[in-house]
Amino acid sequence: MKMSSSFALTPLGGGEEEAAPALYDLIILGGGPAGLTAAIYAGRAALKTLVLLGTSPGGQAASTETVENFPGFPDGVGGAELARRMQEQAERFGAETVADAATAVDFSAPPFTVKTFSRTYRARSVIVATGAVPKRLGVPGEAAFWGRGISTCATCDGFFYRGKKVAVVGGGDSAVDEALVLTKYADQVFVIHRRDQLRATRIYQDRAFANPKIRFIWDTVVEEIVGDRVVTGVRLRNVKTGEQSLLDVDGVFIYIGMQPATDLFKGQLALDEWGYILTDRQRHTSVPGVFAAGDVQDYLYRQVVVAAASGAIAAMEAEKFLGEFPHPKIALEKGKEGAVC
Amino acid sequence: MAILDDSIRAQVVEFFQDLAGPVRLVMFTQESNCELCPETRQLVEEIGELSDKITVEVHDYVADRARADELGIDKVPAIAVIGAEDYGVRLYGIPAGYEFTSFVHAIRSVAAGTTDLGAEVEAELAQVAEPLHLQVFVTPTCPYCPQAVVMAHQMAIASPYIRADMIEATEFPELSMKYQVMGVPRTVINEIVHIEGAAPLGMMMDRIREALQHSGEVAA
Repeated sequence: MKMSSSFALTPLGGGEEEAAPALYDLIILGGGPAGLTAAIYAGRAALKTLVLLGTSPGGQAASTETVENFPGFPDGVGGAELARRMQEQAERFGAETVADAATAVDFSAPPFTVKTFSRTYRARSVIVATGAVPKRLGVPGEAAFWGRGISTCATCDGFFYRGKKVAVVGGGDSAVDEALVLTKYADQVFVIHRRDQLRATRIYQDRAFANPKIRFIWDTVVEEIVGDRVVTGVRLRNVKTGEQSLLDVDGVFIYIGMQPATDLFKGQLALDEWGYILTDRQRHTSVPGVFAAGDVQDYLYRQVVVAAASGAIAAMEAEKFLGEFPHPKIALEKGKEGAVC
Repeated sequence: MAILDDSIRAQVVEFFQDLAGPVRLVMFTQESNCELCPETRQLVEEIGELSDKITVEVHDYVADRARADELGIDKVPAIAVIGAEDYGVRLYGIPAGYEFTSFVHAIRSVAAGTTDLGAEVEAELAQVAEPLHLQVFVTPTCPYCPQAVVMAHQMAIASPYIRADMIEATEFPELSMKYQVMGVPRTVINEIVHIEGAAPLGMMMDRIREALQHSGEVAA
């Protein structure tokens, strides 16, 4: 197998040179298109800005092979390349970027507190751009076997299932696309879908139905992932007949959609019933001084260009908020580090 | 035919513009039973052309076994990235696809002998006083993997006791089997602690402390 033909530079969590000062004008949580665009705007507005890039710098864009609909790139642009350039642009305007992720936040009163794995930061305003992550099944065995037979990235992990049997859970574009990727490696791919037809676009459906390695299991949900040290099977239930069965597989790939990465903000920001952060048109959240941008508050469009635009809006609003903020004006001056209220 | 096209070469040249010091790429190859050795060698040689601070040394793993042993290299293709000193930065398997990023970052970090880990983490790693081996399993098609590799390599730079390997899992299936790699990135610390996924720095440090504590208990 030759996978070595492609070479490209992709974004990484950069990092700061010195121990960061505690207080920022703006902390941006998330290093995808929304967060990085916000950082570009905030940097240009001379806000003392820190971007916590999170666990996947570049966000979902970075794992998109080619972005064909971002304006200004008539031939398309690699998602990772686009994110790398955004990060470079943000850094050029003075935003700091750190390869760390928030583990706890306190938005009860400004300055807001953001704790990461390694330290605590404070900020006079925050933009939440943590994006969306693959939805989990929430069934027994899922947590225990994560990384031991459960995956959400067929291109990353397909190799480990050469000659094996795998299950793909879901019926949308990603599920069917990744099932097709997996047929390159696995002997048999079961697509387990809760309905009796796919949501995936026609072209994917045609390809999947034509592939002899793919078998569809309709009207069925996964109730448990079973295994020993690694996954050995899934316990299934037919939603129409109620019939239960055990399917022997070596791997489970889950593509049942995305969910906003908002666990951290429960109880602090108003969320909708699906967990998305509620914002107004100016990307204000329920807490003055805290803004949200990108897929963490957008379940409709989920486009790089939309996320970027929403990051720009959030940053401009943050700038406005900081200008109006009656509190310690002095801390707004660039270079005044660690001014405490 | 060149492996790297003009646009990538231009990007890398720019990336290497401020290389802080000389870097030696010591590559080990083998005549047979190493499908990607020739391509890895070509890649290393092409990279060597992109900065006058980089020198390339190619060894035969069989003929120059003593040199390989000296560098702790036990499989091929292998690349040791060596700067003012040997920090223990290694790449096993071809750094292609997304891992190309890990490779050029390794060169730049080793050239400077510095890290982006932050003063606190650097200070903590400088206290490490026993061998710590980080093995980061990756595939070239994994967008989340370079972050884990670059972090591990920088940890190797931060401490003389830490060595860090990128291991391209598809080229070393027996090793992947041994460590039960079924998803990447997967980082194995001192054979005992396993980390699934690209862990943020703080989480990584927690697991390193765990590995150190474990080896302390074993010693006691």
